[in-house]
Amino acid sequence: MNSLIALLIGVATIGVGYFVYARWINNHIIQPDAKKATPAKMFMDGVDFTPANRNVLFGYQFKSIAALGPILGPIIAVQWGWLPALLWIVIGTFFIGWVQDFTSIMIGVREEGQSFGALSYRLISPRSRMILLIFIYFYLWLIMGSFGVQVGYNLFTNPAVPLGVIIVILVGLLAGQMTYKWKQDIILTSVITVVLSFVGIYISTLTPVKNFFSLIYGFATNAEGAVVSPTMFLTVTQARLIGSLLMVAICYFGAVLPIWRWAQPINYVSFWIVTLGILGGVVGLLIWHPGMGDFPAFTTFNVAGLGPLWPILFVTIACGAISGWHSLVSSSGTARQLEKETDALYVGGGSMFLEMFFAVIAFLTATVAWGSFQGYKDAGGGAAAATVFSKGLAAFMNKWGLPVELGTVYGSVFLTLMALTIMYLVVRFMRAASSEALGDKLPVMKNVHVGTIIALVVTLALIWLVPFLQIWVMFGAANQLMASLALLLVTLWLKNKGKNYQWTLWPFVFMFITTIGALLYKAYESFFINLPKAANQANVAQYTIAQVIIGIVALVLVVTALLLAWDAMKAFRQPITKPAEVRA
Amino acid sequence: MQALQSIFQRLIKLVRTAAITVGQMIYGATIYEMVRDLNKERASIEHLFILIVFGDFLGIPILPPYYTLRLLPYIAPNITGWKRTLLRERDLTDLCDQEIT
Repeated sequence: MNSLIALLIGVATIGVGYFVYARWINNHIIQPDAKKATPAKMFMDGVDFTPANRNVLFGYQFKSIAALGPILGPIIAVQWGWLPALLWIVIGTFFIGWVQDFTSIMIGVREEGQSFGALSYRLISPRSRMILLIFIYFYLWLIMGSFGVQVGYNLFTNPAVPLGVIIVILVGLLAGQMTYKWKQDIILTSVITVVLSFVGIYISTLTPVKNFFSLIYGFATNAEGAVVSPTMFLTVTQARLIGSLLMVAICYFGAVLPIWRWAQPINYVSFWIVTLGILGGVVGLLIWHPGMGDFPAFTTFNVAGLGPLWPILFVTIACGAISGWHSLVSSSGTARQLEKETDALYVGGGSMFLEMFFAVIAFLTATVAWGSFQGYKDAGGGAAAATVFSKGLAAFMNKWGLPVELGTVYGSVFLTLMALTIMYLVVRFMRAASSEALGDKLPVMKNVHVGTIIALVVTLALIWLVPFLQIWVMFGAANQLMASLALLLVTLWLKNKGKNYQWTLWPFVFMFITTIGALLYKAYESFFINLPKAANQANVAQYTIAQVIIGIVALVLVVTALLLAWDAMKAFRQPITKPAEVRA
Repeated sequence: MQALQSIFQRLIKLVRTAAITVGQMIYGATIYEMVRDLNKERASIEHLFILIVFGDFLGIPILPPYYTLRLLPYIAPNITGWKRTLLRERDLTDLCDQEIT
C-alpha cells in the first residue's frame, strides 16, 4: 500500500469522524449551549479558571496530550503487520479516542470544573478517590520507565545525540532568562534560541564530539566486529549507565527547579524543534510517497516478546487511539479554561483527531521508510522504536535535501526532548503524589528533594531491571485502563443526567475488558511462562526480579480497576432521583 | 470580472483567517502556558495579601486594623472568588493542571 493512501485514510477518518459522527453526538446528545456560562467565566479567579480562545486552547490541549505514545506505539505494533495497527489507530480514535477527550472536558465544564478525583468521589464512591490515587502513582511510574528506557538506553547511547540535547537544554535556560529576567522580546528570543539549537544539533554530529562520547561510553569493536560498550552490571552497559544517569540528572533539575526556570522555557524551545521536524518529515513524505514494499499486512497472531494480537495490540498503541492521560489533562486543565460549551468538541475532539494523524505519520516511519519488513527489523524493530522513528524521519527529510546523518540526530534529539518534557513533569507529579499520600506519616516525604530522588530511584530500578517491551505493554495497559475508567465516570454522569450513554458505555466495556485481559495476560506470562525459564537466563536474579515486578504491578492495577468498576456498578444501579416538584 | 474579484477577496479572507487561527494555535502551544503561569503567580500573591489583611473572613483571628477597613471597599467585589479559590477542595488529579501543563 502506498503511504499516500494511509494519509488519505487518516484524513477521511478525521472528515467522517469529526464532521459527521462527533458533531451528531455533540448536537443531539450533549447539546452544548454557547450562551451558558462555563466555570472559566463563572469563577474567573486568575488562578485555575480563566477563559481562553478556542484556537489557543486547541494548541494548548494538543501540546499537553502529544508525547511519545503516538510515536512509539504504532512502531512497536506493526510487528503484528501494518493492517491491524492502522485499523486500531483509525477505528480506536473514531469510536473511542475523541469520545473520551471530549466527554472529559464536558463533564468538567458541566460540573463546575471539578477534577476526576472529586467526581469519582461523588459519582462512584468515597473510596474510589483513594483507589484512583494509588492507580495513578503506578501509572506515572510506568510512564517514567517506558520513556526512560528509550531515552537512557536508545537515544542517549548514540554518541551524536547527548551534546545536542544538552545544548538545547542550555539554550532553553537562556530563553527563560531572556524572557523572565531580561524582559526581551519573545520573537527575538525565539529566533536566537531556535537558531542556537539547530547549531547545537549540528555540532553534536561532528566527529570529535562523537569520538568524545564514544570514549566516555567505552565503545570498542568486539571479536564479531560489532561496536559494543562494556557491561557494568546486570544488562546495563557503560553507555546505558551514563545515558540513564544523564536522563535522571535532567529530570531531577526539571522537577526541583521552578517551572519558569527549567521546564517551561525548554518546552518552548523544544516545541519549535518538534514542530519543524514534523513539518519537514511530512513534506519529505509527500515528495517521496513510498509504498510499503513487502511489509506484510498481517504477520502472526502471537508476536514473540509482546503477546497475542488481542488484547496486547490494543494497549501497545496507546495515545494514538485512546489515552487516559488525556482525560486527566482535559478535566483538570482544559475544562477550566473553556470560554464556551460549543468549543469543547473543537478543542477535545479536534486535538485527538490530530493526534491520530500524528500516529499515522509515526506508523509510516516504520512501514514505508525501510522498503521492507526486514529493513524495519534491521533498523531495530519494536525494541528500538525510537531509533526506527528517528532514522525513518531522517529518510523522509532526506528527500528535500537534509543529510541522513544530521536528520537521524535531529530526529533523536526531537524524541529525547519530547520524552524529557513529559518525564520531569511526571516526576513533579509523583513527588506531589507521594507527599500527599505519605506526608502526614513521614514528614520527610514533603521535602522536594526527597520525593524527587525516590521517584527517580524507583524509575532507575524499573529501567535497569525490566525489558522495554514489557514495560511498554504495562504502560499502555495502565494508560488505557485509566481511559476506560474515565469513560466509566462519564457513562455514570450521562445516566444521572438522563442522557443516552450507549456511545460511552460500549467503548468503556471494550476498553475495560481488553485492558484487564492485557494485564492478566502479563501477570500470567510473568509468573507461569517466564519465571519457570529464569534458571536458563544469563542474569537469573535480574530476570526473576523483572518478572515479579511486572506480575505484581499488573495484579495491583487489576485489583484497583476491579474495585472501581464494582463501586461504579453499584452506583449505576442506583435509580435516578428526580428533584422534588415544588408547587408555586 | 466582478465574480473573479469576489472569489479573490474571499480567498484573501480565507488565508487571513487561516493565518490568525494557526497563529492562535501556536500561541496556545507555546507562550500561553507562560502567560497563564505568570497570571497564576500574580493572583497567588494577591490572594496572599488578601489573606494577610482579611484573613478573618476565613476564620483566621486577625484583628482588622484601620487600614484593613479602609481597603475593604476595594476588595469587596473579589471576596467571594478569593474565598472559593482558597477553600476549594483539591486532590492529586487537580495537580495535573498545575504540575504537568
